Amino acid sequence: MRKDRIIILYNRIAVFRTERGVSRRELAEAVGVNNQTIGYLERGDYKPSLELAMKIAAYFDVPIELLFSFRRFEPVADTLRRAAAAGEQPQ
Amino acid sequence: MTLLQRMDRLVYATRLDRIIFMKFQPRTFRWSPLFVIATLIAGYVMMAQITGLPDRSFFIGWLLFYGAFIVAAFLRVFGPRFTATAFHPLDERELMVKARAHASSGIVLAGFAMLGCFYMATAGMPGLWHPHMPNDWINLGFGLQALGLLLPTWIASWLEPQLATDEEG
Repeated sequence: MRKDRIIILYNRIAVFRTERGVSRRELAEAVGVNNQTIGYLERGDYKPSLELAMKIAAYFDVPIELLFSFRRFEPVADTLRRAAAAGEQPQ
Repeated sequence: MTLLQRMDRLVYATRLDRIIFMKFQPRTFRWSPLFVIATLIAGYVMMAQITGLPDRSFFIGWLLFYGAFIVAAFLRVFGPRFTATAFHPLDERELMVKARAHASSGIVLAGFAMLGCFYMATAGMPGLWHPHMPNDWINLGFGLQALGLLLPTWIASWLEPQLATDEEG
């Protein structure tokens, strides 16, 4: 299989989890999976079902596209730098 | 203390509760099933070579074969989770791993059975070994059962990504 045909699903679960101070175990219990599965999801070793992806998005109360994307997410530092340059107050 | 209470305490005293309630972290066995399969084959060959009364070689083969069978059962228990418990149901990833591991091992076992049929069809030719004693068939049955335990564990161990050092488990 050609490498460019492998579809990578990027996610920001670890970022949201760290920001909210939620452990893997807490998130796993909230969405009904094994906490190892959360670890595999964060590392991109496992692609979640639509149901699980929506449960995780609902847990963090964000739209699903903020958590999962086929394109690499912009690093948080770049987002903050851009916001600072535009004179916005990062939230 | 009633008999049931005594039995209950025995379960906890012998730490069987760790197995019954899956209180341990599942492990991946990526190479050990291959050694167990090799031991099963070696044990079977040693037992099958005997035509007369059992000798020392037969008993060594018997120990190797059934020892490997028991190890296969243990690897199944301590390997990737295939069985849900009341407190730990299988999640979607574990169900996916279980389905893929069993489907793949089913294909491999069916292939073995097919090749075995072709072999048996030619086994009447002189010089070709085939199971002819009841013991040979019984051991072959146990061997296939051990393969049925080992193959899903082995395949699932490769399907499971390795845990990173910072994983909470």
